[in-house]
Amino acid sequence: MSISTPPRTAVPASKLGYLSGIGTVFGLEIRQRVRNRGWYIMLGIWFVVVAAVVGLAALSVGLEEVGPGQMMFELVIAFVLFFGMLIAPALSANSITGDRANGTLAILQNTLLTPGQLLWGKWLASWAASLGFLVVTIPLIGWAMTYGDVYLPAAPVLVGMLAVELGIVCALGVGISALANRTLFAVMVTYLLVALLGLGTLIAYGLSMQLVKVEVQVSEQVWPEEYQSGEFYGTWDEENYTCGTRLYPEQSFATERITWLLAANPFVVVADAVPQAPAPADEQMFNAAGPMGAISEGVRYSQAGPKSQIPCLNGVKSVDPPQAQNPGPLWPLGLGIQLLLAAGILVAGRNKLKTPAGKLASGTRIA
Amino acid sequence: MKTTGMSREIEQHRFFDQGITATGLARSFGSVKAVENIDFHAEPGRVTALIGPNGSGKTTLLLMLASLLRPDAGTIRVNGLDPLAEPRAVRSMLGWMPDTLGFWEALTSREILTTVAALYGIDKARAKVRANELLDVVGLGELADTPARVLSRGQAQRLSMARALINDPAVLLLDEPASGLDPGARVQLRTMVRGLADSGKTVVISSHVLVELDEMADAAVFLSKGKTVRSQSLAEAGAQDRRYTIASLDLAALRAGLESNNLQASYLGNLENRGGSAKLKLPGENRAAQLLGALVGAGIPITAFAPSSGLLEETYLSLEDEMP
Repeated sequence: MSISTPPRTAVPASKLGYLSGIGTVFGLEIRQRVRNRGWYIMLGIWFVVVAAVVGLAALSVGLEEVGPGQMMFELVIAFVLFFGMLIAPALSANSITGDRANGTLAILQNTLLTPGQLLWGKWLASWAASLGFLVVTIPLIGWAMTYGDVYLPAAPVLVGMLAVELGIVCALGVGISALANRTLFAVMVTYLLVALLGLGTLIAYGLSMQLVKVEVQVSEQVWPEEYQSGEFYGTWDEENYTCGTRLYPEQSFATERITWLLAANPFVVVADAVPQAPAPADEQMFNAAGPMGAISEGVRYSQAGPKSQIPCLNGVKSVDPPQAQNPGPLWPLGLGIQLLLAAGILVAGRNKLKTPAGKLASGTRIA
Repeated sequence: MKTTGMSREIEQHRFFDQGITATGLARSFGSVKAVENIDFHAEPGRVTALIGPNGSGKTTLLLMLASLLRPDAGTIRVNGLDPLAEPRAVRSMLGWMPDTLGFWEALTSREILTTVAALYGIDKARAKVRANELLDVVGLGELADTPARVLSRGQAQRLSMARALINDPAVLLLDEPASGLDPGARVQLRTMVRGLADSGKTVVISSHVLVELDEMADAAVFLSKGKTVRSQSLAEAGAQDRRYTIASLDLAALRAGLESNNLQASYLGNLENRGGSAKLKLPGENRAAQLLGALVGAGIPITAFAPSSGLLEETYLSLEDEMP
C-alpha cells in the first residue's frame, strides 16, 4: 500500500491561496445547504406566502386608478427585507457554532486556512443562501413589472440595497457565531441585534421625542370664504389657505434633530437610498404608493421638523411635501453605522478563531 | 534554518530537530490544570504511545502538539519548528486525528477528503488521486460516494484516519484511533501505523487499549494528572518485573515447586479439583524461561504459564501502585 508518496523532496511546500481558501470554504458550506431538503421546502413556502400577499395587493389596489405594479413591487421588497431579517440570522448564526458542536471547526483550523478566509467563506455562503429568498421572488417582481407603472430607475436600487442589507445581517450572524459557543445563543444575539436595528431605532426615536419638544410661534390658517359657507361643492384644496398674522406659541417637536436615530434602520436605509419618482403632474395623486415609498416620505417629513407638522410656522405657509430645504440623504449614515457594527463583530470573531488558542470559554472544548 | 547565528546550537540539538520535542508544558482551563508539567519526545520512524487514565491530559497535550492550543508554559518543536510562531508551517507537515469524530454529514467521503486536500493547497488533480488512494488504504473504496452521515462509527474512524493522512504528513498525531474499530480493522490499523512509522514518519498515538499498543509502539510516555510520570522504550519494559500467572493440575505440587525456588506467590485453588493457579512477579523474561524449565523438569503438571498482562499494562499498573 502506498500511504506516503515516497520521494519526500518532490512534494512541493503546499501553499493555500487566499481566494482559493475562501472558495473552498464557500463551496463546502453551499454544498451542505443545497443538499438539505428542508431548505427547498422553506423556499417553496416562502414563494407561496409572498405570492399570496402580492396577489391580494394586485386585486385590491388594482380597483383604483393607480396601477398596482409599484405597490406590488414594493410589497415584495418590504416582505423580503422583513423576512430576510428573520431568516438571515438563522442561516448565518449557526455557521461556526455548528462546526464547533460537530467538531469540524478544529479540522478546518488544523489546515492552512486562516481565520479570515474562514469568515469570508462562511459569510459569502450565508449571504448567497439568504439571497436565494430574493431570487425566488423574481417571478413576482416580474409580475409587478407587467403593470407598467413601476418607477424603473428605483427598481435596481431597491433590489441592490435589499441585497446589501441581507449581507450585513449575515455578517452580523457569522461574526457572532464565531464569538459564541452555542448556536442557540448566537442566533438569539443576532436576532437581538437585528431587532435593535429594526425596532430599537424606532423605539429610541419615539422616546427621544420628549427631548426635542420645542415651543414654536404659529399663526392661524385662513381658508377662502367660500369654504366656510355651507353650500360649497367644489374640490377642497388643502393647500389653498393663507396664514394669519397674529402669532401664538404652540408645542411642537424638532424631529429634524433626532431623525438620525432612524438612520441605521434597515428599512430606512433601503427606502432612503431609492431615487424618488418625480411628482406626478396631477397634484392630487398620492405619490408614494408602496410601503417603501411611505417610509421614505416619512423620513423626509421627520427631517423637515416642525415645518412639516405645522401649516403656518412663524406666519409662513409650509410647503408640502417639504422639499425646499434638502437635508441630504440619510442612508449613507445608516449604512455606515451598520457596516461599522458588522466589521467590529467580525474582527472580534476573527480573533476568537485564531489558533493556537489562548483563552477558551469555560465548558468548551476545541475538539 | 531561520537564523544562521544559532547554527552551532542547532547542530548540538540535531537529535531534537526531527520529530516532536516538548518541554515543561503546562496548560490550564480556568481553575482546572489539564496539563501541569509534561516533557515529551517522539522520534521519527517510531511509534510513540501516549498512555494515561482519563483526564490525565492526553488530548490536551495532543491539541497543543497539533498547534490548536497555546500552552501556558513550555516549548514545543515539531521537526524543529515552533507551532506558536509558525502554525501554518507546522500544520502543512502535520496530520491530526481527533478523538471526537466530526464530519460534514451531507458530503461524501470522497468530497470530504478532496475538500480538506484543497485546504492544504493541494491541486484538484492530485487531491483526487490522493483521495482515491487513501480511501482504498482505509477500506472505504465502496463507500466513497455515499454521504458521511451513513457511515458507522468504525467507518467514520477510518475516514478520519484518511483525512489525517491527506497532506502526507511527516508527523502524525492519533487520538484514540482504535476506539470503535472491529477486530479486523484494528489489525489493519496496526499494520498501517507500523507502515507509516517505518516509512520515517513520527507517529504519536494515544489509546486505552494497552495490549494493542504493545504490538505497535516502540516507546511509551505515561501521563498522570497532567504530568509525565515515565518515558520508556518497549525494550526497557521487557526487562522490568512482570506478573506471571502459572496454572497447574496439581496446586500443591506447584506450591512446593515454587517454594523450592524461593519464590513468593499468591495461590488460588479450583473448587472442583486439585488444580489451581499461582500469581507471582518475575524479574525479566530469562528468569521466567528458567523457572518454567525447572517446574516442568520437576514433573509438575503445568497447563499455562504466561504474563498476566501486556508490557505497557504492567508499567501502567506499577505506576498506579506507586500513586499515593
